Order: sequence, then C-alpha cells, then structure tokens
Amino acid sequence: MPTPDPSQNCGSPDHNLHRRKFLQGLSAGAISSMSFAGLFGAPAFAEIAKKKQKHCILLWLCGGPSQFETWDPKPGTTTGGPFKSIPTNVPGTHFSELLPKCASIADKLAVVRSMHTKAKEHTEGINLLQRGHAPRPPFTRPTMGSVLAQQLGQLDSKLPNFILLDPCPEGNEFKGFKAGNWAGWLGAEYSPVRVGGEYKIPNANRLDSITEDDHEAREALRKFFSKKYENDRKSSAAGSWNATFERVNGLMSCAHLFDLDKIPQADRDRYGPGAFGQHALLARTLVEEGAPFVMVANGMPWDSHVFNHEIYQMVVPDLDNIIFQLTKDLEDRGMLEDTLVIAMGEFGRSPWINQARGRDHFPDAWSLAMAGGGVQGGALVGATDKYGAEVIEDPFNEENLFATIFSALDIDPHAEFKIDGFPTFHHVENKAAPISQILS
Amino acid sequence: MNSPSLKKAKEIKLPSHVLDLTLGPDKLYAACLDGGIYEVSTTFKLLGDNFKRIARHDNYASGVNWSASQRTLISASYDGDLKWIDPKEKKESQTVKAHDFWSWQSRLSPDGELIATTTGQYLCGGYKYEPAPETEPSVKVFDVATGELRHSFPHTPPVQSVAFSNDGKLLAAGNLMGEVILWDLTQEGKEIARIKTPDFTGWGIIKGHYYTGGVFDLHFAPDDQSLYLVGMGSTTDPAAGNGKQLWQKFTWKDGPKKEGAAADGEIGQGLMETLAFHPKGKFFLMAGRLFKGNWNAALFDHESGSRLCQKNIGFRISTSAFTPDGKRLFLGGGANQGRPNEKKKWGRIVIYDVSS
Repeated sequence: MPTPDPSQNCGSPDHNLHRRKFLQGLSAGAISSMSFAGLFGAPAFAEIAKKKQKHCILLWLCGGPSQFETWDPKPGTTTGGPFKSIPTNVPGTHFSELLPKCASIADKLAVVRSMHTKAKEHTEGINLLQRGHAPRPPFTRPTMGSVLAQQLGQLDSKLPNFILLDPCPEGNEFKGFKAGNWAGWLGAEYSPVRVGGEYKIPNANRLDSITEDDHEAREALRKFFSKKYENDRKSSAAGSWNATFERVNGLMSCAHLFDLDKIPQADRDRYGPGAFGQHALLARTLVEEGAPFVMVANGMPWDSHVFNHEIYQMVVPDLDNIIFQLTKDLEDRGMLEDTLVIAMGEFGRSPWINQARGRDHFPDAWSLAMAGGGVQGGALVGATDKYGAEVIEDPFNEENLFATIFSALDIDPHAEFKIDGFPTFHHVENKAAPISQILS
Repeated sequence: MNSPSLKKAKEIKLPSHVLDLTLGPDKLYAACLDGGIYEVSTTFKLLGDNFKRIARHDNYASGVNWSASQRTLISASYDGDLKWIDPKEKKESQTVKAHDFWSWQSRLSPDGELIATTTGQYLCGGYKYEPAPETEPSVKVFDVATGELRHSFPHTPPVQSVAFSNDGKLLAAGNLMGEVILWDLTQEGKEIARIKTPDFTGWGIIKGHYYTGGVFDLHFAPDDQSLYLVGMGSTTDPAAGNGKQLWQKFTWKDGPKKEGAAADGEIGQGLMETLAFHPKGKFFLMAGRLFKGNWNAALFDHESGSRLCQKNIGFRISTSAFTPDGKRLFLGGGANQGRPNEKKKWGRIVIYDVSS
C-alpha cells in the first residue's frame, strides 16, 4: 500500500472538532437535524472548532528531577551543588546554568518553585502526579492523560487521543506503573497508545492480498459480532477489546505520522540526537496533526541517587534544548497559545547529598515548568528557603497543580465525573484552587 | 612477603567531602567539596579544629598537589581553575584558567615540574546518549614553575582520570567510556597507545538510557610496564551504583592487553575511586564506596593480584596517599551531608598505620 503523505493528517475532517466542544456547542435537536458528514464539512464550524482545539504535551521527567540543577538553583550554598545560576530574560529570575536556552525564553515559561507533596517513593509519587490524587481503593482514578483524552479528544479520531511516546521500555517502578490501569474508571478507550524506540508503528499496513473493500467488510463483520457479544454478555472485557480494535484501525491509517524518517532532518538535528529529543519532536508533529495529549517519557533517568552531578551535566542540557525547541516550534506554527507544555516528574531531589554524592527523593519542596496555552509566560511562583529545604512562599500540592492544568486547558477542574454506581468524583477533589498566578 | 595490615590511628572530620589530598612538607592538604583547600594537622589536638582553610575555589575543589621542587601547592577545581598556593604564607600566588568545565582530576609529575588536569562535560551525542565530542582539549599539562600550557591532548569527554608514569615520560588519561590514551611527553606528546575496556562503563537499561561509570583513577606500576585502572564494573541501573569493585591491569607495548583484574571472589559492589601504590612497590590500595560486600578499602598484591587485607572504613573514600616511608596511609572522603541546620562536618580523613 502506498505510504500516505505525512504532511497530511489522517484525512478525516473530524480532526477539526473535539468531543467536548461538540457536545457543549450543540443541542440534541441540532445533532438530529443534520448529518455528521454535513456537520463536519461546514468550513466555518470546522474553522471555529480548530481554533478552539487545545493540546497538551507532557514531558514526563520520571525519577524526580532535581530542582537545584533546573528551576531553583541555590549557588554558593552548602546544598547548591557545583552548577551556578544564570540570569534569564525575565529580570530577577535565575535558572541553573545548565538551562541557558530556557533562560533565553523564560518570558514564555511559567515556573512553580513551591510544589509540596507527600509521596516519597516512586510508585506512590508517579500515581499521585499522574492521577492528581492519592489512591482511594477500590476505585482507580484516571490519569491526567486519560482525562484530557476524554475532554479534549476528537470524535472518532483516527489519531489516538492519548499517545505515550516511551523509548525506554524499562524504568523500575515506572515500568510497573506502565503496565497498570491508566484510564481507571473512564475505561480502556482512554488508555494510551504506547509507541517508542523504533519510532514507527510496525505491521500497521493492510496486506496487499486484501483489498480495501474486503478489509472494510471484515471489519464491519467483526464490529457487528463483537458489539453483539459485548451487549449480550454485558462484557466490559469485550468492550475493551472493541476499543482496542477501533484504535488499531485508526492507527493503520495514521502509522506514517509516527515515522520520524518522514520529518525533515533539519528538525531532527535541532532536537538533538537522544531518544528523548527525538520523541519530543514526534510529539510536536503529532500535536500538529491534531493529537490532544502526548506524553513523552524516557525511563527514569532523573533518579540520581548516585552520580547526581555527573548525570545532570548531560540530562539537563538535553531537556533545556527540548523545551526550547518545542516552545519555539509551537510559537512559530501559531500553536503555542493552544498547546500546554508541561515538564515535571513525581517529586524533586534532596538538598543534601548522600554518601554516593547523589540526591535522594524529596517531595517537600520541588519545582516544575510549563509553557504555552493557558499559562502566563514569565511567571515565577513560590519560593524555597536559602537551602531549598522548605517552601516558604505559596505551597502547592498535586490538586492545585491538576486544577491549574485543567483550567489552562479550559476544562472545569471541579466538574464531576459521570459514572453510574460510583461515588461522586471530580476532575480535582476538595475544590482545590488552581495556581492562579500562572494562569493567563 | 608478610601480608601487610592496616591499623586505624586517627580520624579527622572536615566541613565537607574530601575529593583529594596531598602530603606537604609537614602537613596534609585536602581539597574539598565546599571549594576549600585545607591544611590538616595530623597530630592529636585536644581542643579546636584539626584543619584550617588556606584557599578557596568558586566551586568544588577536586585536586591538590604538593610540588616539592617548586615549593608550592597547586589546586584544581570544578571552576576550571588551577591555583598556586604558598602553604607557608597560606596565600594564593597565581590562578590559571585551565578549562571551561570541571577539572575532574589533576596530577603532578614525579619531579614536580608539570601538572596535568582533565576535563569534559558529558553531553548527549547520539541516540543512546553516547558522549558528544569535546569542545576544548580534554587533557592539559601546565608548567608548574611558570603556569604556562605545555601540552594539550584531545580525548572523548568526560575524562575523569590522569597519571604520569614514574619516570615522568608518559601520560595516561581515562574517560567515561573506558578509553585510556597514552602519550609520550618526550616525543612532543605523541600518542603511543590506546587501551579500551568496556568493563568500567554501564549503559542504563533499567532507569534510563545513558552511560555511567568510567575510569575513575589510574596508576602506572612501579616499573612503568603496566597500567592499573580503577572504577566500577558495568551496571544496568546507574542509580544504584551496584557494579563490581573493580581494578584491571593492562600492558600496551605489544598492543593493549589485559594482564590482570580483581578476582570475583575477593570483591563486592561499589564504585572504586582511588588507587595508590605503596612506596616499596609490592602492593597497592584500591578504595571507594561500598554498596554491597564487606570492604571499601583493600590492599592487593602487585604480582599476583590477590587481595592481601581489607577494611570497611565506614564512609565513601575518594582519595588516598601513602607517606613516603610507607608507614602510614591517608584516606579521604565523606559521610552523608546532613541537613543544613545540623552544621555537620561530613568530610573525613582517616589515618592508618601500615605494617608490611
């Protein structure tokens, strides 16, 4: 089968319409009075929807990145480490010297230096910062990506609404998390499609021996029987399988979008040769093609119990370039306003170094950064003490953070999940307030 | 030969981790993580501190070397500077910018006339995070008398270790990827050999994709016919630091050849950072951090490679030195840092009496 032109999207006009805007904007009567094809074909409507489409790229810095070597340097103190701080293009704001490119675009970044959470170990930390709330068994709260897939996702999009780019298949506790339930009570439909390493989706092409008509006929038959089975048996497992089939079908028509070879070499060179940079570039192209949420991970390289400074001399410059290129590219394409970029992990790292000259887990006072849609560039929120050991100004927890992310993406952070037979759950519990200082 | 033994004589606490130490005319000098170069009294003091800061770098002090011939200390730092310090006056006399990045290690030639220093930032250079090429010469040699640059050599950064041969004619430097280059200083710095061993370098599979480890120290054997490398065996989990405690011995005259290594049954796990030959040349010390096992400092026989004695020192060791008469051994390093309000002295120097 010929490979589609990667510069084109999946070919469906419904790329331009996302689910929530559609449901919010139309009454049932309106829906019933017009055909889907006609609706999506209306250029004016499609244009409006396209303008309102929000996206999110999460650079998942798993392992817990050190705030000292990134956003909250403490040079010249006993806890500061060997890296200095440098001024940014926002007067009074300094970053680690390992972030010179980010320093040059600090007016486009929003930095929170006062995250204060409770989870001290990876598994609980990853769950907390991926789901925004501590566990409440037996209910499994969906991850941020699953909620955003549901809220920002497009109707019948061929491109998955939640893409996890994950070149490192391992990752200790993160590996365990990856094998778990991402979508929680939202269901398998909102689980991530996980791709990475080889960049391409293998075996996604229709066999030459099967005609397109045959392929569609087989799919219609499969869909009919499996849906009947799902309904007759009330089988959630069958439902999950059906969701997976739908996704695979979509991927067959979108596989070319995951192929880095189709991206100009000059772009690939700019993002740096490492797996994290290449996948961040892929995230940009997928968002350009309409993907609402892409998470880029790369194992747990930030977990520097040993060799903290020796590892961070490499991984932070890599991150510096990735954030810079992503922000610049999205801005150049007129997409920064509608695309929220988040760089964070599950906690920070200890001010004091251990005997192995590493930094250990530290949820008491840590930092993160955002750029783009919904956040105010140049904002710097919160502060830690001289040694970075305590938050001394504006502490925020995971609920505040999730309320901020949802608000930035025009999602009501306190809306209820509609789940039959469940207790009442909200996007963010306890009416936690967003970090208003960084919302634009 | 009777097996040598070590008996603890004294332990001294310093304000921060000791990265290097050298024996001066009548004192010990330490380079520490707080940037300080400290004069350390090795005699027992009932009251007060055993140390006094005599100079300070803007970043971690990674090296301190006493040149007996030039009567000066030369320190090195993560600030990239070399400092000339008069220990008598306790004053700095000269500063030379050696590198744009850290000085990982510095070593003095046996005659005290030259000082070598290594540098290099590990930056992503490939899909698997292979190190990018250097942006400045990774190995430099300066004239101690004048401070002038005498040699600069290319290598792949980061270059973590350097050593002069005992006759002062050769220089060797080892890096993260287990590559050691040897240059002949009598032939205008001509490269004479490259030794490559994968055994000191780990590529993270479990936690993240990048390289860790490398050759943390190296030392020529007393006859200058072989070279000892020190570090940690390969590990797939860089955050654990759980590779083997490792030394390897290479010759290079007829092409690089591994002639010996620490025996599996005699080692535990942990990064080994320092190697020192006893002045009599019969045995050497390897020491570092203990991850798992029962020692982090041990003496090995130069001929057979077998372990002669071992100690669990109780803290991470980064540097070591024997006195010229071989009767004492100094080990420097540090414990955990502790919270800022504890004002803990976490640097350590421990002195052992050596019987052999």
